[in-house]
Amino acid sequence: MTNETFKKQMLELVCFMVTSARGLLHEPKNYGPFRLLDTASRLIDILSDNQYSSPELEKIKERIESGKFIVVEDESQATSFLNDLVLYIVELLKDQD
Amino acid sequence: MDLWTAIKNRRSIRNFTSDQVEEGILKQLILEAGIWAPMGNPQLWRFIIVNNLKIINKIRSVSPGLIGIPSAVIVICQDLGYALKQGGEIGENIKNVSLMDTAMAAQNIMLAAYASGLGTCPVGSFNPEAIQKILDLPEHISPQLLITVGIPGKIPTAPKRNLDVIWFNSYDDKRDI
Repeated sequence: MTNETFKKQMLELVCFMVTSARGLLHEPKNYGPFRLLDTASRLIDILSDNQYSSPELEKIKERIESGKFIVVEDESQATSFLNDLVLYIVELLKDQD
Repeated sequence: MDLWTAIKNRRSIRNFTSDQVEEGILKQLILEAGIWAPMGNPQLWRFIIVNNLKIINKIRSVSPGLIGIPSAVIVICQDLGYALKQGGEIGENIKNVSLMDTAMAAQNIMLAAYASGLGTCPVGSFNPEAIQKILDLPEHISPQLLITVGIPGKIPTAPKRNLDVIWFNSYDDKRDI
C-alpha cells in the first residue's frame, strides 16, 4: 500500500468514528461499545494492509471478531467478553518493553 | 425456493467474500422483487445501486451500521419532492406512509437475494445527509435504508426470538413477557 492509500484509509476511519459519534446520540447505548470495538478492528485492518500490524494486534483483532456481536446481541455475556478482552490485551502490554 | 424456507433461514450477513454480484442480478432484485412489494400509489421509492468499491468505502465511512465489505449497496430513497407534488398539503403524510413501502420493498429484495444465493443486511445506522453528499443526490431524494448485497462469507446463527408477542382479540398488559 502507498502512503497516499494509508492516508485515505485513515481519513475514512476518522470519518467513520465521527459519524458514529453523531449516530450514537440517538442509538441504543450498547451500540457505543460495539462501535468502539468495530473501530479497533478496522484500525488493525488498516495497519495490517500497510505492514504496520503485529502478531499481538492480529490476535486482538481475532478476539474482537470472534465475539463483537455479543455486545449488541447478549447483554448478559457482554461484560465478561469485554472484561476478558481487556485482560487479554493487558497481558500483551505487560510483555512489552 | 419455498417461501417459508427463505423467511426462516435468511440471516443478516455482515461478512462477504470478495466475489462480485453481477449488475443484471442486482437490477433483477429491484425490478422483480423490490417494486412488486405492496406500496401506496405515489411510488416514491428510488433505488440507487452502488457497486463501485471506492464509493462503497466512502459509504462505509458514514454508515456505522454497515459491517463488512459488500459487493454492492442498494440505497433506498424517497422522492420527497414528488411526495409534495402528488400529495400537496398531505405530502408529509404520504412521506410517512411511504416509509412502510420502503421497508416492504427491502424485505422483498432481501428474500429474493437469499433465494438467489446472495447475502444481504439492512442498514439503518447511517448519516443520510452524508450519503446524499457522497452520491450527489438532490435534497429531495432522501435515503431511508441501505441494503448490503454480496456473496456470504460467514453465516451467523439466528438471534433469539421472543415468541410471546401475539394476542388474540385484546391486549393483556399484565402478561409477563
